[in-house]
Amino acid sequence: MFALGLAVLVGVGGCRREEAAGEAAGRTRLVFKYQPLWGPPEPFRELLARFERENPGVELVTEALPNASDLAHQFFLTSLEGGARDFDVLVVDVVWVPEFARAGWIADLSGDFPPERLREDFFPGPVEAVVVEGRTYAVPWYLDVGLLYYRTDLVPRAPRTYAELERFAREAMARTPGLQGYVWQGRQYEGLSCNVYEALWGHGGRALSDDGRVLLDDAPAREALAYLRGLVERGVSPATVTAFSEEESRRVFQEGRAVFMRNWPYAWSEAQKPDSPIRGKVGIAPLPTVSGEPGSGALGGWQLAVNAHVSPARRKLAARLIAHLTSPEANRVLALSYARNPPRPAVYEDPRLREVAPFIASLLPMVERAKPRPVTPYYNLISDVLQSEFSAAVAGLRTPEAALKRAQRQVDHLMGEGP
Amino acid sequence: MSPRGSLERERRQAYLLVAPAVLVLGGVALYPILAAVWLSLHRFILVFGERRFTGLENYAYLLGDSRFWAALGNTAYFTAVAVTVELLLAVPLALLLQKASPGRGLLRASVLVPWAIPTVVSARLWAWMFNPEYGVINRMLPGQDINWLGAPGYALHAAILVDVWKTTPFVALLVLAGLQGISEDLYKAARVDGASPWRTFVSLTLPLLKPALLLALLFRSLDAFRVFDAIYVLTEGGPANTTETLSIYAYKTLMRSGDFGYGSTLSVATFLCVVVLAAVWLRLLGREETAR
Repeated sequence: MFALGLAVLVGVGGCRREEAAGEAAGRTRLVFKYQPLWGPPEPFRELLARFERENPGVELVTEALPNASDLAHQFFLTSLEGGARDFDVLVVDVVWVPEFARAGWIADLSGDFPPERLREDFFPGPVEAVVVEGRTYAVPWYLDVGLLYYRTDLVPRAPRTYAELERFAREAMARTPGLQGYVWQGRQYEGLSCNVYEALWGHGGRALSDDGRVLLDDAPAREALAYLRGLVERGVSPATVTAFSEEESRRVFQEGRAVFMRNWPYAWSEAQKPDSPIRGKVGIAPLPTVSGEPGSGALGGWQLAVNAHVSPARRKLAARLIAHLTSPEANRVLALSYARNPPRPAVYEDPRLREVAPFIASLLPMVERAKPRPVTPYYNLISDVLQSEFSAAVAGLRTPEAALKRAQRQVDHLMGEGP
Repeated sequence: MSPRGSLERERRQAYLLVAPAVLVLGGVALYPILAAVWLSLHRFILVFGERRFTGLENYAYLLGDSRFWAALGNTAYFTAVAVTVELLLAVPLALLLQKASPGRGLLRASVLVPWAIPTVVSARLWAWMFNPEYGVINRMLPGQDINWLGAPGYALHAAILVDVWKTTPFVALLVLAGLQGISEDLYKAARVDGASPWRTFVSLTLPLLKPALLLALLFRSLDAFRVFDAIYVLTEGGPANTTETLSIYAYKTLMRSGDFGYGSTLSVATFLCVVVLAAVWLRLLGREETAR
């Protein structure tokens, strides 16, 4: 309790931190806050050094953020609300952009990155996530998307419909006792919301109505939750998926004990490690749907934004850094050295990428269809409600109807309270 | 100099001497509490960019907030069960530890190992052991695999188990200290009177142990009531908020939703619950002191 109280105080009350020092002698110190990119440090360092060479007089400083998205959000919440000016460029998760823009924490970048140009250069999903009410507030840096993994040795091909997925799973399970059908993420956390939204899109639903209302209590959402719960009830998914996050499902799949898995692209390189029991027996595909159209995976990933509290001159420079870090060339460096998926379609055509990182190039059909979760400033307010009600439905504690009614009521209450 | 004057001076000196401690306490304890109370009287949601005084509106909402009552219920259940089990296990453990035997020092030290491991680390270890697919607990138990962290009835009990494992040694040490305060002569007298070991325990050890037990109850129940880290690592409050405690609800509201007003209200409510609990225990403890 004390710790919480103290954290609030530090964030709200005091410590308006000053702009990075070192303005003297004509040198500008530009601070970039980001999460560590796992991998060899040199290529990224070289990318940053190139910016310094092209902009004499600028000293670029990087500061690491906690790797957990929740903690990074907490950091920005307290520091930006406190008016912190000690960093200029920051990374933001896809679901934070509208929130940060609404709170006035990140600068409008429409001058340097007009929405029309973003739409030409980037995939539609990430653009939807960074353009708020027609203005650009961030630029996509790299992205993530939900995929279906399947065992090429156990099923004839990737399933296109939910019915096909279930049939393939049952056939494989009948041949191999002890095998599980489909593992995904059912624990009460943000990953569950991603899984539910994917099912909702697969049932022809939409996250938001045209007037920006979060849609929950409608037929596609009910069918989506009933489908996920049904997977557990019919034994296609183990009852234990209600405790699974990404790693739990990946372990089961990697040990060769499941036919299908929903996960992010990171699971691929793990599955292909030399000592992996399923090495060479794994395929990826877009998620299935009711209709058989390739499904949409939830969009994840990080964008770059500018701290709205810093001076206009610094903002200008910060925008230049963002342009440098989100260029096609930078996209390529991140893809080749750090396996981060480029947000620009053009990069997927790059021959070098196709040769060195064929897996990333093969993600194009999924990335094209990736969709963001509801793009609303209130996402972090409502995701708490969504997680617990989705969890109640998936764990069988409430019927999908009851859970969605409750969720809709609470979300409408929160949104209705907005000014 | 009159005796009264010297008394006055002594008192002034006493105030001067405690002043630093009072200042520090005021700074690190009182000020944050008052600030949280002040925040709790506001509607203050970061994303809405608004901050206005609303008086007791948040508290009115709290009374009708079913999630708050559910969290309070979870917290109370967790505290009651965990602390009871810990005490029941700690007394025999302390009796065992008191027995003079070779290697007693080593035994006492090693019992404290679970207590010494940071909670987040041990909770992570337990999360792996509870894992329904490859966890060691399901491997050891016969019958159907139990979905420890994903089934509503089990998850809170899994968290209780982790807490019991971690803090029973601490309670045992408190009880052990109490045991050592009991004079050996009393036991000799009991033996002379021909009392059975059980009789000695019930009529002699237990009554004399009461202050130590109450103290352990005080420490543990206050601690358990604010439980956060173990449960957050194990389940984040899931499934369907069935393991959400007051601290977790407050944390999510404050830090995830950025609702500082209502989040502070929840923190203040937790604080008040702990104050009431502490007052009750201290009263019982005080009565015990005067009775002696």
